[in-house]
Amino acid sequence: MDSATGYLTTTVDAVVNWARSNSLMPMPMGLACCAIEMMAFGGPKYDVGRFGSEAMRFSPRQADLMIVAGWCSYKMAHAIRRVWDQMADPKWCIAMGACASSGGMHRCYGVVQGIDNFMPVDVYIPGCPPRPEAVIHALMDIQEKVRNEYSIAKDYASGPKKSAVEPMNLEILTSDGRTTVGGV
Amino acid sequence: MPVKSSFHDQENIFSFWPRHNETILKRLESKDAWLSTRRGTEVSRVKDALEHEMTLNIGPQHPATHGVLRCMVKLDGELIEKCVLDIGYLHRGVEKLAESKTYQEFMPYTDRMDYLAPYANNVAWCMAVEKLANVEIPERAQWIRMIMCELARISSHLLWLGVGLMDAGAVSVFLWTFQGREDLYSIFDEVSGARFTVSHSRIGGLATDLSSKAIDMIRDFAIRYEEVIKGWQKLLNRNRIWIDRNKDVGTVSADEAIALGLTGSNLRGSGVPYDIRTFEPYLKYDEVDFIIPLREEGDCLARYHIRVEEMLESIKIIHQCLDRLPEGPIRADDAKKTYPSKNEVYYSMEGMIHDFMYTETGIAPPEGAAAYHAIESPKGELGFYLESDGTGCPWRARINAPSFTNLQGLESMMEGHPVADIVVLIGSIDPVMGEADK
Amino acid sequence: MADSLNFHFTPVDKARPDEENLHAKASTDVTDVIQAIQEQFPEAITEVVVYAGERTIFIAGEVFLEVCTALKEELGFTYLVDLAGVDRFQEEAPRYEVYYCFVNLQKGKRLRIKVRVEEDDAVLPSITGLFKAADWNERECFDMLGIRFEGHPDLRRMFMPEDFEYHPQRKEFPLLGIPGSLPLPPRTPEGELTMDPFAAAHSGSPAKSYQEPAENDEN
Repeated sequence: MDSATGYLTTTVDAVVNWARSNSLMPMPMGLACCAIEMMAFGGPKYDVGRFGSEAMRFSPRQADLMIVAGWCSYKMAHAIRRVWDQMADPKWCIAMGACASSGGMHRCYGVVQGIDNFMPVDVYIPGCPPRPEAVIHALMDIQEKVRNEYSIAKDYASGPKKSAVEPMNLEILTSDGRTTVGGV
Repeated sequence: MPVKSSFHDQENIFSFWPRHNETILKRLESKDAWLSTRRGTEVSRVKDALEHEMTLNIGPQHPATHGVLRCMVKLDGELIEKCVLDIGYLHRGVEKLAESKTYQEFMPYTDRMDYLAPYANNVAWCMAVEKLANVEIPERAQWIRMIMCELARISSHLLWLGVGLMDAGAVSVFLWTFQGREDLYSIFDEVSGARFTVSHSRIGGLATDLSSKAIDMIRDFAIRYEEVIKGWQKLLNRNRIWIDRNKDVGTVSADEAIALGLTGSNLRGSGVPYDIRTFEPYLKYDEVDFIIPLREEGDCLARYHIRVEEMLESIKIIHQCLDRLPEGPIRADDAKKTYPSKNEVYYSMEGMIHDFMYTETGIAPPEGAAAYHAIESPKGELGFYLESDGTGCPWRARINAPSFTNLQGLESMMEGHPVADIVVLIGSIDPVMGEADK
Repeated sequence: MADSLNFHFTPVDKARPDEENLHAKASTDVTDVIQAIQEQFPEAITEVVVYAGERTIFIAGEVFLEVCTALKEELGFTYLVDLAGVDRFQEEAPRYEVYYCFVNLQKGKRLRIKVRVEEDDAVLPSITGLFKAADWNERECFDMLGIRFEGHPDLRRMFMPEDFEYHPQRKEFPLLGIPGSLPLPPRTPEGELTMDPFAAAHSGSPAKSYQEPAENDEN
């Protein structure tokens, strides 16, 4: 086959998810000591650029993955929720470390016992603080999750429609030997 | 009674916590600018058509605030007229937590106060308890503590340098200094098993001895990084952009620095030779040869010079400690005051019981004892004031956190500077919010 | 014989002032300062407690501000290092005490002063006029223990939010806080503030960042 006329068939979901999952832009909500490990995660040794997430976006409008690193006090919770609400959909959240996941060692009056009390969390990372490898693992879990989501052609609320009339139904082209992209 | 969230209230965009924000804004309105009374000069006013006053909220989530510091500034044109800082976004009440923990149990919490230099915090806590309970520290443990404290100082200053330069616009230096921190992490990993929240010091000594590999790694680090830090000095000391960003920014005279209660490098940058290592020598600091860098300008550039020179002095101290490291035990041999060694725990009944009792009850300083012990942490004077009621938990543990005292000077330092200097100023003060918020 | 079965695993020792402390510093020997204060204010010092070479000087609340002025202007203690409150929580009358740590930079001396404060009338004169560094520490002390400092320019809470009603460092305040005293943010953008500290446990299914498609949808 001539390379100039070659083509590839896939699903829109697969392409979009492949693109999304390999260019997750983290919003580093660095609160406490986990933030230092998050810096290491973005730093030279662990180099999260290998996973396409080295572009830390400090503006919530540009980010789609929030990493809440560190214990979250009641006072800070309002700011975190505010930033989370400002992030555009689709968005994901990692609760990094024991404190963000469950309050951890800080079982006391000032600390929210787990950020899932006021915002949704996709991946929890144990550890106090977790090593950068664990954060990379969490990022890969998020990528896995993104790759298995429905992206555009499906209606979120009602799920995959079985009827024939679907917008942009590219699966017709690929009844056999569908090319898979990005781990779908 | 539920309060309606004001997410869609576009007119009042800071009102996600209405009453709290109102008080800060009120304070910003009623505050007197310290600068006008301090130097007899009014903050210069821009007289043009574009002049209008504006309230700007920076933080609590802002990359340049080094954590969760919130600055409410009132701007006149581009100059800061007044500034009110709001902290407490990381408050969890460690002083309260300490009252329900045994002395040894509390140590992991000190790791998470100044998380840029946890070892210094461990040592500060241990030495305060040792003073309170009058525990002897073996020679070797003292020297090892000194080495690790100086490594902690370097690691803290490395992050300050990288992040401070990143705030000023030079992103690549962050990668270089972080590589230095990674080297330090591998040393801490070898020594204690954790990358930076080490909890390696123990009351009356240390948890484990340094392995020969760790000693080699430390020596290698000290030799290599002397050159590296000098290389950074070559890059920055005469760098036009760096000097222009820092010179005459946030100038504090010696008297003002003392009045504001600044500590550490910020105080020494104003020409006050106050360093706990020489003021009240602890460990073996009176036996090693080092100098305390001192500058008199009191601006951000002076603080930069002091911190970088401090790193070189730390390397000098590490070399001397490694040369003079004596052989011997690393923990005091007193089962009522320290943990027994693992050999005793595993192979003798008494050791087992002592280990259990120490974990359960811990060290019990005498009733009515009170002691204050401070060390020179990378940020400044880190002191613990402890009061005992005779049980295994402290009655009152007061933390004198250097970041807290340094931050309170920031409010008045900012007045009269352009907005762009805020990030440089915060960087040069070098606060760690985990410590400032207690 | 319940009394004889009363084991004390940790015998409680009393602090002995004469015991030699291995970590005592020369800088905390302030006998000359105590003498100077006594000469100037004969009634000021109520008690001096010695432990580990450190002297805790208890000053009567009435002359406290004068003593601080003298310390700063005549005795050279210009640098305020620390200020904090202590909750004694005992039967004896003055419930709180506030401790001050001053440093004389010229002579290399460190001084600790304590003032006792009644529970009903927890007011002390503020020293922010003398030491600007006391500003935030006094606010912190007010936040944590509820001691008010008269003459402080801006006595707001330091750490806790303004609409918090308690003082957490007091001994009767529970470590885990009082449920419902601090609001959590709303769980949806249009929602209402919740006062439930365990919202995740109480509200059934956890909130999700997206809605999962139903498996067998009839449409």
